Amino acid sequence: MNLGRVFTLSQRVMRQVLRDHRTVALLVFAPLLVLTLGAILFRAEPPAISLGVVNEDRGVQHPVVGTIALGERMRDELDRSGAFILIPLSREEVDDRLRESAVQGVVVIPPDFSANTLASRRVVLYLRLEGSNPTRSQAITAQVTRAAMVTLATLTLTGGSAKNSAQTGEDDTGLPVSVQTTYLFGGAEFDTLDFVAPVYVAFLAMFFVFLLACVAFLRERSQGTMERLAATPATRTEIVLGYMIGLGLFALVQVTVILFYTVWVLNVHYRGSLGLLLLVITLLAVVGVNLGILASAFARTEFQVIQFIPLVIIPQVLLGGTFWAVADMPAYLQPVAHLMPIYYANQALRDVMLKGWGLAEIWPNLAVLIGIAGALFILSAWMIRREVT
Amino acid sequence: MNSNMILETDEICKHFGNIQAVNGVSLSVGHGEIYGLLGPNGSGKTTLIRLVIGLLRPTSGSVRLMGERVPNKAILAHVGYMTQASALYEELTVAENVTFFARMFGRYDPAWVKEAIELVDLHSRSRSLVRTLSGGLRQRTSLACTLAHKPRLLLLDEPTVGVDPLLRVTFWSYFRQLAESGVTLIVSSHVMDEAERCDRLGFLRQGKLLAEGSANELRRRAGSGTLEEAFLYFGSEKVAGGSQ
Repeated sequence: MNLGRVFTLSQRVMRQVLRDHRTVALLVFAPLLVLTLGAILFRAEPPAISLGVVNEDRGVQHPVVGTIALGERMRDELDRSGAFILIPLSREEVDDRLRESAVQGVVVIPPDFSANTLASRRVVLYLRLEGSNPTRSQAITAQVTRAAMVTLATLTLTGGSAKNSAQTGEDDTGLPVSVQTTYLFGGAEFDTLDFVAPVYVAFLAMFFVFLLACVAFLRERSQGTMERLAATPATRTEIVLGYMIGLGLFALVQVTVILFYTVWVLNVHYRGSLGLLLLVITLLAVVGVNLGILASAFARTEFQVIQFIPLVIIPQVLLGGTFWAVADMPAYLQPVAHLMPIYYANQALRDVMLKGWGLAEIWPNLAVLIGIAGALFILSAWMIRREVT
Repeated sequence: MNSNMILETDEICKHFGNIQAVNGVSLSVGHGEIYGLLGPNGSGKTTLIRLVIGLLRPTSGSVRLMGERVPNKAILAHVGYMTQASALYEELTVAENVTFFARMFGRYDPAWVKEAIELVDLHSRSRSLVRTLSGGLRQRTSLACTLAHKPRLLLLDEPTVGVDPLLRVTFWSYFRQLAESGVTLIVSSHVMDEAERCDRLGFLRQGKLLAEGSANELRRRAGSGTLEEAFLYFGSEKVAGGSQ
């Protein structure tokens, strides 16, 4: 072995990397960007959840302490937890508010809440959840249960009678707190996969089609065929449209396979129309193709295409609401999420898959997605013009 | 100027920042001519061809192709442009490449595709993937791609670079065949011996057209025995524009 040769070679490799300033910058910058985003999301205190409270409790007259209104105490306790923004509701408006996402869940305190609690030393509450985000459902249930526990504990202090502390309970059927949960969408059987799967499918479609378009267009330029195409009567619009249809079809096939696998093999819960799902994903694929064409203008080599992944793709995954619900992100990051095309697809896909919504409900997200696709289309057609003339 | 000309450029200039790639070139090329654009590397041949075809906008001056102002997409259907490197789709076969470009020109005819492939003697390899072809075969495929839509004007940018001497002779026989069938060819080259085969020549240096004429004319005017000497003579004269 000749060490001189080894070092000459490593010197050459280093020189090549250093010549590509962008690679050097990315080597340092890209991991920091991705890490920072991750750190923010993992560390972020979840913002307060809007929780509706239907307090119908009539209270109980106590000979010694006067009126005992446990419903009110329960509500104060929820307030004190800091996890919620409480919104008083009446029983009739519960489902409407849930559907329009004004509240994520509603605690229903029944009329004889105080009386029953005092008599049985058990808290029985009703909780109605929006249900499409299992993580949030769990968080709400946990906080409500905790508040009920504390309410019961204060009762032992003020009422003073029963010594059997709320926290100990008696046996597993006789837990002192019972939160009876119902769901507007989904249900207890919905898990995190149900939440992530619909958008994961879409993300995969966009990701692959982005890479495909980016590399294909890059090759078109590096092998000189773009110059040749430009010398034909073909217009830029025709070229971009051709790419969109060609690669879009592949995305459609891919997505169909993934979707069927997700639903029938992985048993992900699924409602709504399959056609609508495919429509949303196709739109996202169109966005992916155009993003790819646009990005290809900024890459000289296929290696530089790969470098777009931490810059273009990962932020979309982290910030677009794929794993973290956008509502759970820090407030200052939420506007960024709204810039990500994938965010709108995510919304629409969850609405269809988890809530069983149709075109009538999801059209605003679709419209934004079409708008983004259109804008990117114009931009990438313009990009080709710029590079050809 | 003769309106019968297939190509006319009027004092076109193209500047890239401080670099004057093409500097006041006036050309006119008639039907069925083989016009050789001769000059060293970096003399502005490719830029001139790209200006002619409308891939670049001139800084000043104008170009007319078949009587129409360039850029004009519709005219491109009758123009064939062979780029310097053999720009082909590696994953497609020879026939697929030729067919693709014919369709992009909007003038697809299976018989013409066959004819183009036969002209460059690639019939036996028409189903081969371009990826598997040697440099010479690629160059021939590339030429076929510029022919299958039956253009009236062919712009060939150094078509014989990297081509072995035998194939070079073959290429020039194709060119002559095409010219005889009425196609006009503009061929750029930096090889002087190819220039002999052109009907008319233009010497290009530093973006300027030094002289124009047939090989014999140019030699006579320069009073030199070879075209190389003639080129040097006109170059040292530092006169721009083709003095007729």
